[in-house]
This record gives sequence, C-alpha cells and structure tokens, in this order.
Amino acid sequence: MNIDLVLQVLHERFPTDPLKPRTVPIDETVVTLTPENLRPAVQTLIERFDLRHLSTITGIDTGDEIELLYHFWDGQGLTLRTSLPRENPHTVTLIDLIPGAAFYEREASEMLHIVFDGHPTPDPFLLPDDWEGAPPLRKEEAP
Amino acid sequence: MSRITIPIGPQHPALKEPLSLLLTAEGERIVESTLRIGYAHRGLERIFQNRNYVQNIHIVERVCGICSHVHTTAYCQGVEALLGLQVPPRALYLRTLLCELERIHSHLLWLGVLAEHIGFTTVFMYTWRDREIVLDIMEELSGGRVAHAVNAIGGVRIDIDSEHIDSILARLDDLERQIDTFLGVVLHEHTFQVRTHAIGRLTAEQARRYCVVGPVARASGIDVDLRRDEPYAVYDQLDFRVIVAHEGDVWARTMVRTMESVESLQMCRQLLRNLPDGPLAVRAPRHVPAGEVISRCEAPRGELVYYIRSDGSDRPARVKVRTPTLPSLAALAEQLQDINTADVPAVLAGVDLCIACADR
Amino acid sequence: MTDCLSALFSLLIFPGFAFLLLCALAFQWIDRLVVARLQGRVGPPWYQPLADLIKLLAKEDVLPTEAHELACAALPMVSLAAVLTAALYIPVGKHSAPSFEGDLIVVLFLLSIPALAYFLAGWLSGSVFSVVGGNRSLLQYFSYEVPFLMALSGPAILSGSWSIAQITAQQSHAPWIVLVQPLGFFLALTGLIGKLKRSPFDIPKAKSEIGAGPLTEFSGRKLALWQLSLHIKTAVGIFLLVDVFLGGASIGLPAPAILVFGIKALLVLLVLSLVDVLYARLRIDQLVNLGWRVLAPLALVQVLVVILIGVG
Repeated sequence: MNIDLVLQVLHERFPTDPLKPRTVPIDETVVTLTPENLRPAVQTLIERFDLRHLSTITGIDTGDEIELLYHFWDGQGLTLRTSLPRENPHTVTLIDLIPGAAFYEREASEMLHIVFDGHPTPDPFLLPDDWEGAPPLRKEEAP
Repeated sequence: MSRITIPIGPQHPALKEPLSLLLTAEGERIVESTLRIGYAHRGLERIFQNRNYVQNIHIVERVCGICSHVHTTAYCQGVEALLGLQVPPRALYLRTLLCELERIHSHLLWLGVLAEHIGFTTVFMYTWRDREIVLDIMEELSGGRVAHAVNAIGGVRIDIDSEHIDSILARLDDLERQIDTFLGVVLHEHTFQVRTHAIGRLTAEQARRYCVVGPVARASGIDVDLRRDEPYAVYDQLDFRVIVAHEGDVWARTMVRTMESVESLQMCRQLLRNLPDGPLAVRAPRHVPAGEVISRCEAPRGELVYYIRSDGSDRPARVKVRTPTLPSLAALAEQLQDINTADVPAVLAGVDLCIACADR
Repeated sequence: MTDCLSALFSLLIFPGFAFLLLCALAFQWIDRLVVARLQGRVGPPWYQPLADLIKLLAKEDVLPTEAHELACAALPMVSLAAVLTAALYIPVGKHSAPSFEGDLIVVLFLLSIPALAYFLAGWLSGSVFSVVGGNRSLLQYFSYEVPFLMALSGPAILSGSWSIAQITAQQSHAPWIVLVQPLGFFLALTGLIGKLKRSPFDIPKAKSEIGAGPLTEFSGRKLALWQLSLHIKTAVGIFLLVDVFLGGASIGLPAPAILVFGIKALLVLLVLSLVDVLYARLRIDQLVNLGWRVLAPLALVQVLVVILIGVG
C-alpha cells in the first residue's frame, strides 16, 4: 500500500475533513474523519486501493467523546479515526462493504452502546443474555 | 424431510472450549447454523484498565493457553514502542525462539485434535506424544509448559547456555522426523484424505470478505504472513518460507499448518545457532508517556492485534485485543452451509478455534 | 438328571454364560492393550474391563423424561439375550454345540437382533444425538449386513451344509475355507467390523459428532448390559469366523483343541485391533458407498465362484 497516495486521495475526496495524518508505532498512520465521511472513505479505500482487510474496530470512551478507530492493514497499517458524541452515538454499518466487520461492530455496540445503523443482529455478543449492567467499557459505572 | 436441531455446545465432545452452535439439519445435511460465543468472556479489556502495565503482562498471558507467549510478545512490543525502548538482540532472539516453539506446539496440538475429530485416534496419540518434546523444551527454558512468563517490558526473563542449546537441537532433530511422518499421513493416507478433502471450502474471495487471517487464509490462497510482511522481533533476520495452498478446504489447512511446523523448526535452529551475546533486558519506567500504538504479531492462528493507548500514567487507558480466531468464526457460517453433519467436527477443527482468545 | 446337570453346566459355565463373560472381558482387555501399545500408550491392567463392568452396574440409572422407559429397560436385555442364544450354536474348541441343519441362518438372524435393538434404543431414548446415531446405525446395518451374509454363505455352499458344526467338522479333513475363499474371509471380517461398530465403522457412535450415538442417554445398569452385549458379541463373532473360515479347533496336528481355537480367535482379534488403529472413521455416506459399490459386488463374485467352481 502506498500510504502517501492513499492520503492524497483521501484529502482530495474529503477536503473539509481535518485528516491530520500522524504516524504511530508500529508502522501505522492514523487519519481523522468526520463520522459522515467514514463510510465513503472506506468505500474509496476499497474501490481505489482494494484495501479490504479490516483488522478490528476499537471503541474508546475518552470521557469527552466516544472514539471509533477502524484499523486497516495492507503491508502497512492505516487507521481511520472518528469521534461520536457520548450520548446516543450513531454511525453507519460497514457490513455490506466488509462482512468481516460484523463481529467488531457488535462488540463495540455491546461494550460502548454505539448504534450501528443497518446492522441486523444487535443481539448480545460476548456478554451474557441476562446482562443488566451498563456497557462495560463506558466510563460512568464503577469497576 | 423433517428438520432436526443438533446442539453443538456449550458442552460437546467436539469442542475443547465452550461455544454454542445450533445446527439445523435435514437428514444428514446442514441447512442453517447459529453461533453464540461469550461463554468464556472474562471482561479482560476492562480489567486491563484497572491494572498497571506490568500486572497486565500476567493477564495478557492468560488470554489464551495455547498462544500465551505471542500475546505477551505483542503486548510488550507495543508498550516498548510507546516507551521508545531498544530491546537487546539476545532478548529478541529468545523471544522469537519461544514464539516459534509455541507455533510448533500449537500446530501439533491442532493436528491431534483434528485427527481425533475424524476418528483417527492413533494420529491424535502420536502428535500429542511428540508435542511433549516441545513442551519439555519450553518448560526447561521458562519453568512453565503453558504459561511461560518469559516476556518483560524491555526484554526477557530467561537465559540459555550452550549445553542447553545442543540438547534442544538434538531433540528438534527427533521432532523433525516425527513431523515428517505426520506429513506423510496427511499427504498419503487414504481415510484421512476422504475425510478432509473438499470439506469446509472457503474461497479466497470469501476469506477476504470476512478478513480471515492466518493458516486458514493462507490455505485459501491469500499470501499474507506478518512475519514476512511486517517483521517484528528478529523475523527480518530469519530465512523461512511462507506456506500457501489454494484448495481452501480442511486438507489444505492441514498441509499449511504441518509444513509451517517444519519451517518453524528450521527457524528455531537458526535462532539457536545464531544467538548473540548481550544483556537480556533494558530497564523500563513505570509510567508510559501518552500515546497510542498498534502492535501486530503472527500468532499460530494468524494476525494478532493489540491497540494500546496510554495517558501518561502507569495504567493503560485502553487495551484492545483482536485475536485471529474471531474472523475465522465469522466465516464459519459459510463453511457450514450444505455440508454433512459428520463433517462438522472436521470443519470446526480445521478452523482451529481458540474460544478463550475470541471471548477474552 | 446328569443330562439336566450337564445341560445346565453348558448353559451357565462352559461354553455358556460364564465362559462368554470371561472371553468378553479378556478380549476387551487384549484389544485395548494392543490398541494402546500401537498408539504409544501403556494400556489398561488386566482387571480393567471387569472393574468397568462392576462400576457401571453400581452407578445411577437415569433416563430423560422423553425416553420410553419400558423399551429402554427391555432393549439391552433383548440384545444380550439374542447374543447369548446365538452363542449356543457356535462350537467352541472341541465342544459340540446342539446343532441342526440351518443353524447358521438362525445364528446370523440372532446376531442381527442387537443391531435393531440398538437402532430402537436410539429412537426411543429421547435425545437428538441418539436419533441421529440410530439413523446412522440402520444405514450402516444395511451396508455391511448384505456382504456379511453373502460371505458366510460361501462356506456353507462349499461344505454342502448350513450347520456351523458341520462346516467346522468338514474342515478337519479338508483345507481351511479361508485358503479356498480368501475374499470371503476378508468380506466377513469387514462385515464383522461393521457389526461390532469398530473403527473405521464406528459411525453410529462417533464421539466427536454425536456424543455416544444411540446410547448417549443410557447409564448405570442399562449401559452395563449394552456394553456386555457388545463385548460378548465381539467374542461370539470371532468364534463364528474361526469356526466357519479357520477350521475351528482343527490344525492337522495333535494339540489341545481349546488352545488351537483360542490362538485362532486371538489372531482374528489382533487383526481387528490393527484395523482399528490404522484408519480414520468413515462418513456414513462413504460407508454406504463402500458397502454397496465394492463389498456387495465382491461378495456376489465370491458366491458365484463358489457355486460354479467349488461345488463342481
């Protein structure tokens, strides 16, 4: 993967997005996008660069916002970062583009109460069926 | 024909760890499958946030029993990158040695499990007996057969002398002869072949759609191996082949894993013969400067990803673990479509499930 | 009076129940030991099969509520009774069984009853695994039984008699039938492996797929009776093959009959253990394929050869 070419194309397609590419160990580039542009960006990556290997989706509750990181890899790592508001975080699903994203979205949804619009199986994934507590990776509840 | 629901799990002889797979069968053909995991979920990602970086090494080791060392390798590697540490070469060699020994042990274990599932108990007994050679070596090196506690942030905790190296090399020669026998069985034994050929086929396109990794992907023709494509530890100094097959069935996966064991054995020899002198670790500060890191390793089952974010304290703000079994589980439904009930254990085994890894 | 006593002795001691029980346990031990040693293990001590039997008899006997209680209680007893009755007509050593013309057919019929009881046990014991196992056992039955029956008809046609004792007696002054009909012997052995549900034909009780197949829900005394009937069937099946193909106790040299018989039986058992170790388990459709496309035609060929050449 030619990371410079990828960044250039992303910049051309989403000129209003901050992008702010930064290199992060180990051999990874992190790019910031707005939530609405995330799905189109993934579509671009798939169509232009055949970049389809999604390693995982990390969800983080930073206290101020919910960050979603989509980690892609093709020889080098590329992470797409987006922020969602803490109350009622919504984003669009990617499973029609990358079926392998299904499990990662379910986990993020379960652990952080993120809603992925269009995801058909919002059943419990790792948590037990009778889980009553708050989402485990959210900051509000006590450990 | 009436439909019958066969529950595979949470407790079932075909499963080494709990998961629930509800199969709907029409006669002997599977028409539908429903997967539920999470029976071994321990909430480790939450636990990581409540412990400091050193304590977390011990927890990371226990994500999985079979690939415990590669988990700590990925984790320590990540934290070392955040700290900007230069791990001494001798430590990296020993770390890699244990990674490869673990790969051999995992693949032999897996071969035995697959054989047992297709009713070939003899191969199961033989592979697990020969696996003891590797377990003994690992126990001599680290003190533990399963949890080695070899990695520390900044290096390793173990050392090895030349006498020990010679003893290990001799035993690796014995092991190589045994693995050659198993390769012979895989290639030539008729009943093994009829039970594994054309079973659980996954095309390259399907594998890519589900982001499958590791030997399952390589058996479907996807030529990716992190040890060659994004080398970590000392893999850039080792000479080895990446084994790729194209049939995408259980037999191809068996071929890939068995031949990978042979390659791992060669790598162990190279590591032992070229072991450099020097210190075993560098001192690591307790507080890790703020930052984030993505550490990838090639576990026996494929790409293992650790994302660690630090906030400057002595505890990580977030540790995200993605184990290689997860995408294989995602692709399982496709492999189970329209197959014979009798082939289900072979397919499950062929995928090399590690549920403890998947559930965390 | 003495007739009555000697009849009781035959039924209960030798070659009746006690002897068969002893053989079942001894054969089981030898089989497990041989398989273990070939697999690089140590194997069980000599008293293990007896200990297992006693342990099972002492265990709690539970069945699911959906199971048909009366049938599940009766079926293991039916299976055991059929096998023991079949043993009556099979000569052991020099001992002459109460034989009559046609007792080979009766024995084969009696030996099929356990297979049907096994299938019914699968259907009536209330578990999905046992139903699947029961279905497979019936499919398997049809695949091996036909070649088995045809293979055993060969010696009968050749000897001109359908009495086991007669077939055996004839081999004391003629070459053993295995030398004349090796294909028949091979098919009979294969059929026996299917009958005894040993690997590679242990499909109905494929551990990794369907628990224990039809017997999944059985425990305690009922399971002990099932296991006993299976192991006595092993001994009886081996005795049948030794009588029909290997000449019973005859060897052409003066030697204790029971010893000769015993050695032949052990050789057959060794072959069964070897086959157990060497192969993976087949799938049911692969077995059906094998049975109808390979074994049955071969058996037909063997019978034709016997009819055309042997009798002439």
